[in-house]
Amino acid sequence: MSVNSWVVYLFEVESSQLVEAELRDAILEDQLEDWENHWQPELWSAMLRLKAQGVWPVKQESAHWNWQDKIQSIRSLLAYRTFCITCGGMTQGMMQVDLTKSARIESQKGKPIVYIDYLENAPWNRPTLNNPARYRNVGTLLIRAAIELSRAEGFKGRIGLHSLPQSNNFYASKCGMTDLGPDSDCQNLRYFEMTIDQARSFLEVPKE
Amino acid sequence: MTGKRTMTLNLTDAEMSALEELSARKDLNKTAVLRQALRLYQLIEARVEAGEKLYFESETTREKAEVMFL
Repeated sequence: MSVNSWVVYLFEVESSQLVEAELRDAILEDQLEDWENHWQPELWSAMLRLKAQGVWPVKQESAHWNWQDKIQSIRSLLAYRTFCITCGGMTQGMMQVDLTKSARIESQKGKPIVYIDYLENAPWNRPTLNNPARYRNVGTLLIRAAIELSRAEGFKGRIGLHSLPQSNNFYASKCGMTDLGPDSDCQNLRYFEMTIDQARSFLEVPKE
Repeated sequence: MTGKRTMTLNLTDAEMSALEELSARKDLNKTAVLRQALRLYQLIEARVEAGEKLYFESETTREKAEVMFL
């Protein structure tokens, strides 16, 4: 299996500098090992640390996601694609997308979209767990990758997703996606979609 | 993204018309329509092979009709 990679830049909070990272169009064994051996222990220790400090940690709504099971279930299926960002020898973010879903916004209803099944940031990059976060920009770069994939597949930048409540504001404000409201067919999670014009605007706006 | 290979596809007039109609309706070029069709075909085949069933459900009546997949 051939894996493509691109140089991207994350904002390292501690040094206030952009640092070189790598975006890859695959989640490989290395990422799953990072998830199991680093993400999971860090997630639970951060929650315990916050509790010990008397801070009730913000519920981590993706805590039950098991990336090993997810990747195993889609292996060799053309309908799904995966991406990751690595920096400093560690996986910083992962995303799984589905290429078989259709748009819901009236102006593009029925047209194919890149639907983001799962997008997750490493625990140390989440301000709710680790403040200040280690790296910023991970989510934005993965959204950008979804838009670029949408364009490469002829979907012209259209993307969609169901957002966990903690991320609603990110998709609405930072990504400029249209909020179509809670979806009773998907645990009442809010459904967000990006049009061709919104995708163009997102790509044009310089990110920090 | 990954390397691509080229093939010649022979279609009847009716098949070409259907492809062109889908291409217009989905706002995709013909190659993208066929790649999309292949993704769906493979996905459905894998899920049916794993023992799942494929249904169409009427939005109004909620009536379900199983699609036989050969």
